[in-house]
Amino acid sequence: MATDATQPGSGFRRILGRLTPENFVGRSDDLRALTDLALPAHETRGLIMLAAPAAGVSELLRQAYDRLFRQRGGATPIYFAWSRQDQTTATAVRRFLHTFLTQLVAHRRDDPALVHAPPPLRDLIDLAAPQDYEWIERLIEIFERTRDGQDERALVRLCLSAPHAAAARGARTVLLFDDVQQVEHLRGEAELGAEIAHAAAHAEVPFVLAGLRRRLLDVLNGGQSPHRFESFDTWHVEHLNDAEARTLVERLAFTHNVVVNEETRDLIVQQFAASPFYLSLFVQAAQREASALTSFLDCQQLYVDELFGGRIHRRLNAILEEIAPELSERRALIRLLQELAQSGNNKSPAEAWRKRLDVEPDELFRLLTGLHGHELASFNATYVELSTDTVWRDYLRASYRLQVAAEPRALVVAETLVETLKRAPQTMARHYRRETALGLRDLLARFNYQRVAASLLHADRFARMYRGTDPEEIALGLDAETDLIRLPQIVHVASAASFHPPILQVCDEERCAVAHGFDATPYTDANEIVWLAAEIEAKHEAGRAITEVWCDRLAQLAHSCHFKRVRLLLVASEGFSAEASELMNEREVFSSTRQQLELLTARLSPEQVEEQKAAAPDEFEMVIPMGGDAELIAAHTAEQIARRLEFQPEAINQIKTAVVEACINAAEYSLSPERKIYQRYRLESDKLIITVSSRGVLLPASANAAPTGDETNGRRGWGLKLIRDLMDEVEFERVDDGTRLRMTKYLRR
Amino acid sequence: MGEAPAGSPVRSERTGDVAVVYAGDYLNKLSGERIERVCRERLREGCRALVVDFNETSMVNSIGVSILLGVIDAAERTSARLVFAGASGQAAQLFQLLGLTRHVTLAPDKQTALKLLSEFTDAGAANH
Repeated sequence: MATDATQPGSGFRRILGRLTPENFVGRSDDLRALTDLALPAHETRGLIMLAAPAAGVSELLRQAYDRLFRQRGGATPIYFAWSRQDQTTATAVRRFLHTFLTQLVAHRRDDPALVHAPPPLRDLIDLAAPQDYEWIERLIEIFERTRDGQDERALVRLCLSAPHAAAARGARTVLLFDDVQQVEHLRGEAELGAEIAHAAAHAEVPFVLAGLRRRLLDVLNGGQSPHRFESFDTWHVEHLNDAEARTLVERLAFTHNVVVNEETRDLIVQQFAASPFYLSLFVQAAQREASALTSFLDCQQLYVDELFGGRIHRRLNAILEEIAPELSERRALIRLLQELAQSGNNKSPAEAWRKRLDVEPDELFRLLTGLHGHELASFNATYVELSTDTVWRDYLRASYRLQVAAEPRALVVAETLVETLKRAPQTMARHYRRETALGLRDLLARFNYQRVAASLLHADRFARMYRGTDPEEIALGLDAETDLIRLPQIVHVASAASFHPPILQVCDEERCAVAHGFDATPYTDANEIVWLAAEIEAKHEAGRAITEVWCDRLAQLAHSCHFKRVRLLLVASEGFSAEASELMNEREVFSSTRQQLELLTARLSPEQVEEQKAAAPDEFEMVIPMGGDAELIAAHTAEQIARRLEFQPEAINQIKTAVVEACINAAEYSLSPERKIYQRYRLESDKLIITVSSRGVLLPASANAAPTGDETNGRRGWGLKLIRDLMDEVEFERVDDGTRLRMTKYLRR
Repeated sequence: MGEAPAGSPVRSERTGDVAVVYAGDYLNKLSGERIERVCRERLREGCRALVVDFNETSMVNSIGVSILLGVIDAAERTSARLVFAGASGQAAQLFQLLGLTRHVTLAPDKQTALKLLSEFTDAGAANH
């Protein structure tokens, strides 16, 4: 798709990037890895970029292209996406050579328009810079001769050697190859994947070889040994994390004038599993349909539209068509996949697939490899396991009902909308539960033969020793304990569901973990041990009955998985009843509360705990109405918060006054239709940052500047001056939809 | 004797030429204007000294303070003495910051303020 290269606010030309750089969120490390390849002294010859499906690797490469293009005088970026549309290897490599020379000439001439409107190959000779004219003409002549011959391999090698030839004449390039796995679909004698790998490994220019992580290496290796990539780094491109994804949605929504709120933003992020590709697509669809996304209904209506006829539908349709081009085979495949989805097991033998599809083993392998490559299913030699990806499952169900069961479209659409709406709160609940899980896997992974106070793993003992005790005293007590437990060294940790999927019926994936390790050296059978840990959900102390159920459940899990020596750990946020503790002591089961686990975590990796504290400061938010002396409520809140940080009384008064003045300012100097004042209090170790904002427009008297204090004979409008006197740092700014005052007070003990 | 003019919740009392006006919990625009009105009324009635008692005032804002400046002006015009009593914490801090302390006498409490004023009125009577 062509780009809007002159979009206001982008600050520079976009050439291939579809997002403005400001909207390209969470990929700074990836971008740096790519652009660093252009540095003359860079040691890495290239990158193998293994991308998760819909992780946005194409946009990443395009953004890298744009950034490199702007670096005048540096290496020339060449972006090329391999495509099955070329059908044959010869067509693909011819298109590559044409693209290569076009982008080279465009960069040398600083003429990005050429990239979108490539002239005929021979015309590029006339457009070439004087220093390139001769070698480009010569290359094209050789190409034309080779093209007209019968030697496909020679043509492939000639085209792929173009970067090398250019470099030999002083035109250094960086090759950004996208969708490399697509070359396996091209017809031809030459094994193009292996040829690309050969060219990348032997050219004196950096190559980026990007593609689907489950297919790329197989395609490049072409069945040969992978030693040729020794000088390449491997780079993984995953989905964004939740915070980055939320930022992406907010920025895209702002850019595209789509109204979202926090609830819908979070739902969108969860539903699309933080995939930048889907998130961008969805917000753009909202813009196209002029849909506000302010309720779950708005979101799910648009989602269902996209699923049945929009870009989500087209993308997944295209993938299935690629995997099973024949309609009858595709229908059979959809039927099998949907039956697998409904089976509750998610897994079935590949042999059963062969019989049901009535295909030869080679064809079955091709189909399953296709599903595996796109991560729609996992194919592991004998079994096929369906992906749990929500969008894919929704698409599959809808396709089955429409194409296989031939149900009326209106019925399928209506029921899909109803189902997705019912699912939305569950999706969010699942997200909240995941966020609040104790992180058993992370904790177990830190076990490395440390010795810790035994009370940390005995909830009853801990309660006897430390209930009602200050944190400092607990820390001292733990340091002084002489009864210590030596933790094992954990070498592998995973969700219990990975070992025993039925456990998902009784607990979340995050809340039950299996950790393999050794409780002493050397690594022998005798020292091997498996820790099974589970988090019991209980509002209050966990009682004996539920504790017993969990003890049995974990014992059963150990038995099913044939674990020999095991150690069980049960965690309940508020601890265990006396009867439950007695049971666990009898069975030698370790037990902890949330507090104990936090203490244990702090002892195992104090640096990380400090980092987390620094990275996640306390924040409070409050909204008050304008007027009605509501600023007093704000002042009281500010006082309580300032006390938490142990500000001196005089400073607390200063903060209270500043908050009151800020609220009055917001009420007096804005035409706010909603009459609300938004406040955010952010506590950091050495300061309190208060942000007071309101929506609306500044009154004319202060439209061009903050109130200065000279109104009404000097006796009004003191507010901002006062705030500046009282606080250490003050920033007043007009924002998109109102004003914002940010005040900082440093702590002086 | 405590009294509040009609329509005003501001309490005040008068002993001879001295009036005491009680500020409420929060001195803002509205309560400031009410205090100002009561003070002006007392001055019109012939009071030669005013005490504004901030003993119950926990919070003051800049608009309230700006209105107090009007009270100071009015007192000056009638040559009446004005004492702010009982201001502490945030209120005292703000009075100082906005320069009120240059124009008005501060007393720690009402009793001290009245004592100060009795000396003034006595001295004034002696001079006449």
